[in-house]
Amino acid sequence: MDMLQNLALGLSVALTLQNLTYALIGCVVGTLIGVLPGIGPVATIAMLLPITFHLPPVAALIMLAGIYYGAQYGGSTTSILVNLPGEAASVVTCLDGHQMAKRGRAGAALSISAVGSFFAGTVGTILIVAFAEPLTRMAQKFGPADYCSLMALGLVAAVVLASGSVIKAIAMVFLGLLFGLIGTDVNTGAQRFTFDIPELSDGIDFAPIAMGLFGIAEIVVNLERRLARTSAVKVDSLWPTREEVRRAIPAALRGTALGATLGVLPGGGPTLGAFSSYTLEKRISKNPQEFGKGAVEGVAAPEAANNAAAQTSFIPMLTLGIPSNAVMALMVGAMIIQGIQPGPEVMTKKPDLFWGMIVSMWIGNLMLVIINLPMIGMWVKLLTVPYRFLAPAILLFCCIGAYSLQNSTFHVMQVAAFGVLGYIFARLGCEGAPFLLGLVLGPQMEEYFRRAMLLSRGDPSVFVERPISLGLLIVTAFLLILMALPAVKKARTEAFKEEG
Amino acid sequence: MGKLLSKDFLSGVMFIAFGLIALYFGQKLALGTPVRMGPGYVPRMLSFILIGLGLVICIVAVATSPEPTEKPRWKPIGLVTLGVVCFGLLFERAGLLPAMIALIFIASNAGEEFDLKEVIGNMVALAILCTLVFKVGLGMNISIVKGIW
Repeated sequence: MDMLQNLALGLSVALTLQNLTYALIGCVVGTLIGVLPGIGPVATIAMLLPITFHLPPVAALIMLAGIYYGAQYGGSTTSILVNLPGEAASVVTCLDGHQMAKRGRAGAALSISAVGSFFAGTVGTILIVAFAEPLTRMAQKFGPADYCSLMALGLVAAVVLASGSVIKAIAMVFLGLLFGLIGTDVNTGAQRFTFDIPELSDGIDFAPIAMGLFGIAEIVVNLERRLARTSAVKVDSLWPTREEVRRAIPAALRGTALGATLGVLPGGGPTLGAFSSYTLEKRISKNPQEFGKGAVEGVAAPEAANNAAAQTSFIPMLTLGIPSNAVMALMVGAMIIQGIQPGPEVMTKKPDLFWGMIVSMWIGNLMLVIINLPMIGMWVKLLTVPYRFLAPAILLFCCIGAYSLQNSTFHVMQVAAFGVLGYIFARLGCEGAPFLLGLVLGPQMEEYFRRAMLLSRGDPSVFVERPISLGLLIVTAFLLILMALPAVKKARTEAFKEEG
Repeated sequence: MGKLLSKDFLSGVMFIAFGLIALYFGQKLALGTPVRMGPGYVPRMLSFILIGLGLVICIVAVATSPEPTEKPRWKPIGLVTLGVVCFGLLFERAGLLPAMIALIFIASNAGEEFDLKEVIGNMVALAILCTLVFKVGLGMNISIVKGIW
């Protein structure tokens, strides 16, 4: 059994003291930022990117992954106890979770959400193991034209499934692609848009852009609107009643299935998974009027879904090198900083990294149940830290992190500049995530495009003559046409309405 | 006038502007042929696409009734940016401590509440934390106060 061998290799990597420590650090930091409103996983991972440069690749990726799924757990805690979602994917948990807490079932809601998340995370990890090899084998058959079309599909799908205006998001993708071209052209050595700044000749650095767009801009937007504070509900017994368990189990199973499926899709991820599974539960429930008043299913399903989706969204990134959302784009960035080109080669050339990371995700999920349930009181106390203390601290970490990339203050200035740009994007309702995806994929996509055109002697029909490429492009076109249909447009607006 | 100040119209203008900037600064880059593309081929292509999309966004914005842009508040974005820039200027010249005092002082003014005692407390806590994490823990080659440590 290949799979068992791979898992054994993964275990041997993940269980080293060093990697366990970084998994724990990642989970604790993730829970922390999940609990604290006003800073999400994207900003945190962006901030910590430069620090990962000082770590071995496996440890760095394990830690970043821990932050990502740790935030899902932490976010649910504050949603249930104080009706304040720590991050976007737990917005739906507020609806019924906080109502349960108000009725004195806070402990039950917390344990249902933690155990459901753990179950979903385990299933997600198994799915990654099962799909990794076949997908990687398929990707190895891809030619340059196929890759180019695959990236186009990935980018378009990411836009379609994201909230907000589609055409603006597409324009943001192209803007990201354009920024990705800054630097020395690999084929000719020509300097492009470097303005004779030596720091730009190696290409524009990814980390300061992410820090500016997500870190700084987020801080400023939060400072503008002043976060409201409410007091936390007291936690009683953590044990759910038998009736609650009976209702939670099928809901968690459905949530896991839906979340895992949506997580694999480009543009999918925890937020989409949580919203869709809540809608599904409400629709199939015998007592839909209970939803919003503390229905157990309304906690179990979205909590399982967001964690399952957080896990499975690693699949396209690890096997194909295509990030499906902003966090995955940052993971790609982290790999590039470490000198690893994400794609199908990662699994064959760096099996220890690949399997070690996957196994550590499961271990991380286990750690999170342990960190979260018994220590809930401590996390809730953290909520009383006012944002006026947090904002300068986050800024300071961004600045030092940016400097440490190459020991140069140029990157600090870059953070400032992209902070302003990110603020403009936020004010104009343009999403940062598509920009980031375009930025990450830009250089590779150009490379594949030029290689494909060279091989076909300048004939663009190569993109429709190769069956794989044609298939991918048809799906891309289909998605775009779908988005233009008024009925779909309306449904999409409604689906994202609650997200606000 | 309201429509021209909407989020959609202004973002269309932004995309067109980026497209034009890229065209202007990319005009010296060789285009090459579709078979052997020069360094300027893809940037030129992207610029035209951006300008096209920007125009479409603008036209749609004028034709429909788009969401108005909220009035920007200059204090938070201005002060946060100023703080980061000051940090960048001071860090190598004076060291981590002065740079971070400047950053925290300026950034703390960006919010609604400002209490000097709290800000100083925050500074002390962060100074100890940063020294421990970055200088001692990660062993980064940075000076806390230039010329002293």
